[in-house]
Amino acid sequence: MMKKTLALLLCGVMSMALLAGCGNDGAPASNTNDGNEASDEANVSDGEEGEVQASGERTTFTVGFDAEYPPYGYMDDNGEYTGFDLELAQAVCELEGWELIKTPIDWDSKDMELNSGSIDCIWNGFTMNGREDAYTWSDPYCDNSQVIVVAEGSGITTLADLAGKTVGVQAASAALDVLSDEEQQKDLADTFGALQQFPDYNSAFTELMAGSLDAIAIDIGVANYQIESRGEGYVILTETLNSEQYGIGFKLGNEELRDIVNADIKKLTEDGTVAELAEKYGISELICLE
Amino acid sequence: MDFLTILQQLGSGMVKTGGIFVWTLVLSLPLGLLISFGRMSKNKLIAVIFKFYISIMRGTPLMLQLLVVYFGPYYLFGINISGSYRFIAIIIGFVFNYAAYFAEIYRSGIESMPIGQYEAAKILGYSKAQTFMKIILPQVIKRILPSITNEVITLVKDTSLAFSLAYMEMFTIAKQIAAAQTTMMPFVIAAVFYYVFNLLVAVAMERIEKSLGYYK
Repeated sequence: MMKKTLALLLCGVMSMALLAGCGNDGAPASNTNDGNEASDEANVSDGEEGEVQASGERTTFTVGFDAEYPPYGYMDDNGEYTGFDLELAQAVCELEGWELIKTPIDWDSKDMELNSGSIDCIWNGFTMNGREDAYTWSDPYCDNSQVIVVAEGSGITTLADLAGKTVGVQAASAALDVLSDEEQQKDLADTFGALQQFPDYNSAFTELMAGSLDAIAIDIGVANYQIESRGEGYVILTETLNSEQYGIGFKLGNEELRDIVNADIKKLTEDGTVAELAEKYGISELICLE
Repeated sequence: MDFLTILQQLGSGMVKTGGIFVWTLVLSLPLGLLISFGRMSKNKLIAVIFKFYISIMRGTPLMLQLLVVYFGPYYLFGINISGSYRFIAIIIGFVFNYAAYFAEIYRSGIESMPIGQYEAAKILGYSKAQTFMKIILPQVIKRILPSITNEVITLVKDTSLAFSLAYMEMFTIAKQIAAAQTTMMPFVIAAVFYYVFNLLVAVAMERIEKSLGYYK
């Protein structure tokens, strides 16, 4: 009796391991998270093809993104990764005949992911300003500004009103850089009661709603998305913290890949694909490609 | 995203969580026993080495260890890593960490055995290996089972640390859905998933404990 139970248990355990191993095979082909799942040993070769061999052609293009950053990169209603940046990356891949591998990363580890070669680029509402020397950048494709979001009726209407308040920001984000740079808004940040760092904006908004946070420093595109899907109750201050631009970050010195992607985006701008996508994700007024 | 899709997404993440869980247990339980032998070795040097190993593994956060295992090859040796290494790194990190804890649990069980049993076995002509396998180990397993259950349940919850390597286990997916849908609902479902998983673990362990209590 005992042996049977144990055997059953072991069987269950083993099959679970197997399932995890090739979970991807069972999933619909449209599931775009291949890059990650390939790692599960079933398709190990997939991941390795992504590296360009000295003689071999590139067949895959691995984009690292923060899957908690709508509308640039996030999980859609069907559980697939999508967003303006990812669709644009897809369009580039179609031009080049590459297979796009969407790899969600932990934003705090983005540099390690890029430098170690597990992703080809960071493409996800990635602010160039202040990071010019740290990456090989594509042409800027999107204007952005860092803004402050407060709860409606909080009495905060200007940046000066933030004195003594608790302000939330995403860890390792551009908004945080702006607030800690002495040439930019460090002086303003010093007037805050506290500058609280969050792993993602969702929890920051929840705290704002709950009242433990007075304001959030955030990219305008993301702020619009959050406010649109959350409904009433939030206000974006008209005073912005700065204005800046988004680009695609490649590993320092990877000009070759950068140039290909730049040229493709130019083509996509000319044929209207970029404008179409921007329309779809509601960021038309932010696009700075011509 | 409707409720069913959320469930489906989290379910697929749960399979991956289960994968980490199973691989970690299958590999770290035997490895832990070997480490405990090293830790109890009569050779002072070996004992110190293993003591040091356990101290490092228990003394630093698992999340940090995962980062070191995954990014270490590049930063220490300049080897480019590919995405396929992600899952392997997670398993290596978990196995080495959990083996350290299991080793100490084994040691507590083995050292609690009265010396008289070894003496009696020797007189009866048992070899050292026979004594351990036939007399000591079965008793040890019975004694340490509750502590093992503790660790196993902790492991279920620790699997969520795989998010630091961007592995799409259940909790990572829950966070992504929460961000895209701007709701806390996925966390509630995630909590239920974890609880049910642990309930199953607890029930299974209790049955094993009962079935091993053949002298009671």
